[in-house]
Amino acid sequence: TSPEEFFKSGHTNNWAVLVDTSRFWFNYRHVANVLSIYRSCKRLGIPDSRIILMVADDMACNPRNPRPATVFNNANNQINVYGDDVEVDYRGYEVTVENFIRVLTGRLPPSTPRSKRLLSDEHSNVLVYMTGHGGDGFLKFQDAEEISNVELADAFEQMWQKRRYHEVFFMIDTCQAESMFQKFYSPNILAVASSKVGEDSLSHHVDPSIGVYVIDRYTYYALEFLETVTPGSKKTMGQFLEVCPKYQCISTVAKRTDLFRRDVNKVLLTDFFGSVRNVELLPDSIHLQNATLHTHSEDSSDVKSDKPLSYAQQFPMPV
Amino acid sequence: VAVRQAAEKQSSDVTSLKTLAALDEYFHGEESSVNKYLIVLMPVNNAVVKQTTIGNYRAVYLPAGKRDLKTVSSEVTEILHSVLVREDALLKSFQNFLGAREPKDKASMRSLSYHQGYDILFTLVNPQPDILDIDWSIKEAVEAYLSPMVKQLSDYINLDIKSQMLFFTGLRRKPHKDKKNSGFYYEETDLPHTINPLEANLGSHASNNPMLNFIVYVPSRDQHPLHIVLKNGEKVKTNSFLSPQWGGIVVQNLPSPPPNSSLPVRVTVDMKTVMEVFLTQLRLLMDFNIQVKKDLQVREVGNDVIREWELDNWLRKKCLENLATSISTLQSLTALLEGISNIVIQDDIGQQVENAVTGIKEAHRHLSSGQIARAFTQSRKALASSEKAFFDPSLLELLYFPEDQKFAIYIPLFLPIGLPILGSLFKAIKWIKTKRKQKPKTE
Repeated sequence: TSPEEFFKSGHTNNWAVLVDTSRFWFNYRHVANVLSIYRSCKRLGIPDSRIILMVADDMACNPRNPRPATVFNNANNQINVYGDDVEVDYRGYEVTVENFIRVLTGRLPPSTPRSKRLLSDEHSNVLVYMTGHGGDGFLKFQDAEEISNVELADAFEQMWQKRRYHEVFFMIDTCQAESMFQKFYSPNILAVASSKVGEDSLSHHVDPSIGVYVIDRYTYYALEFLETVTPGSKKTMGQFLEVCPKYQCISTVAKRTDLFRRDVNKVLLTDFFGSVRNVELLPDSIHLQNATLHTHSEDSSDVKSDKPLSYAQQFPMPV
Repeated sequence: VAVRQAAEKQSSDVTSLKTLAALDEYFHGEESSVNKYLIVLMPVNNAVVKQTTIGNYRAVYLPAGKRDLKTVSSEVTEILHSVLVREDALLKSFQNFLGAREPKDKASMRSLSYHQGYDILFTLVNPQPDILDIDWSIKEAVEAYLSPMVKQLSDYINLDIKSQMLFFTGLRRKPHKDKKNSGFYYEETDLPHTINPLEANLGSHASNNPMLNFIVYVPSRDQHPLHIVLKNGEKVKTNSFLSPQWGGIVVQNLPSPPPNSSLPVRVTVDMKTVMEVFLTQLRLLMDFNIQVKKDLQVREVGNDVIREWELDNWLRKKCLENLATSISTLQSLTALLEGISNIVIQDDIGQQVENAVTGIKEAHRHLSSGQIARAFTQSRKALASSEKAFFDPSLLELLYFPEDQKFAIYIPLFLPIGLPILGSLFKAIKWIKTKRKQKPKTE
């Protein structure tokens, strides 16, 4: 985007919160879903420091994985989405409803490291992607608990009250996904779901060599669309919301645009998926007087020891 | 407001001073303190001040000349209104932080909102360290050029400064080749895409403070010399750009090593030009810069980096912003606690809320008496307390327990055992009744 457009869009940074909520080997496809979206976000420019990735189970090192240390999202095994530079922030049993709500609202204990915090502000566009098993009004976390649509709507309202986002794009790929965004009431949220209430979202294809379904339909076609997007692309959110019509997805993709202030056909995809910076050129700078640079002498507290270094004794041996 | 005739000594001193800098220094010693301003009406025949000039401390020099009192006083009020005490801007930012969410202007979107401290990271990016061994005396440059500013701000904000060098990485976007001169250039539209690949390598940091990154980029030999050009083709003088709320990048074209020299060749970065650009960008990013109308002259700021009246403006603005944020935080906290009836509020949250309210009241008191530095400190305390109260981790535990789910939990527990108990209760009452009926009969 040109710099003039930048100041029109109103955001200065992008965050992404990507959540996979299911565990067990046969839910391989959910992990592949979230890791593929993670790769797209990174490719389009959002850095790891602004992505919170929550993966509920470890598929790459699962004993049932015939290709250890890899997670594929396609049967032809072309892309290993679990490559070298995947930074998972919440892993395994840390992916709970409580942690997810804490991340969104910011009510984390003071000892939480920076990489696990959502430090967005009023100029941030946040992408929230959730995948797993869901039902009418809830999403199952870890096969033990669930988050309801009311809780999620309240969490977003808390974020709005504390000015923790400028706009949110909420993407969810589960069964009866539409129910999860029906209760939203905070402004500036654009939501898309892979299926309507009463419908199931289906998976795409099985990889015979791994033995499980590797990707879900909606995410598969969404990724197909995202592969054509480059950081400077002019594709709009309106086009993205039309991805996966009924003959491809079998379930009906539902969307919610009434809370979103701008016209979706004029919103760039990179406003949410990428991180296109805004720049400003300086016409002139201040003028400094030449100050003498004092070369720092070595600190006198640096003791240069002449003793040779040796390893500490590991076992209680007689000296 | 006080008006004074100049003393004899002052008049003779002023006529003897020949430069604006000297004039400024002379009036700096005199009664210059936070929030107190001096408007000096210059004598008719002075050679230094030809146009209304604002100095670097707290003095404004007006060449009164032969103008009548009315025009001079209207000019003075105009200066006070638009430059020294910017009421409209203050009101606008106060409303904004209170929750108005109006369309933003450049200045508010560019600067970071107030935080207890900022981290500043200076990076030197050298894609070919095997060819150029770059020496940048950053530690000394920071000492010489940045420490005065850091010291000036040390009461108000903590600046934590670090530096690093990155090798074998560059701006991955390919620059355009300049056909006329042998060089390369980036247009303004290319620049947004250069930051992201670099940011991934900048390294993460441990604190929760916002970070400002300042990068010196030395182009690799196959992209040398690299310039940034405007839309009309002319080169940007400073060869740099800034990204709002993030930092800035300056491109330094260091000379290539001559042929047949032993690689790597040692070159030095001119820290003065680099720090000039960085300090200008820092002024913009930290919201110290104030746009002044064209008919007012402002003295070059030089090594002081921040003018004292700019600091006053900053204190006022940040104080109001902090107060607005605290107020809106406390309001939304109240709305939250009223909405959920069965939430447990611990004592220390209540204490924090009280501290925040006390801080706000004290800040108001200091503001109304003109002591903006003390008001700022109080507003900072109020902000910290209100944020601590709102973001307390314990406010989550009994938060989401909807009423209808209570039925779903208690009914399966109590109904199976409840039915037999109710049945036996009825039976027991019937038995007591029959016993009572029998009693008078068997009398």
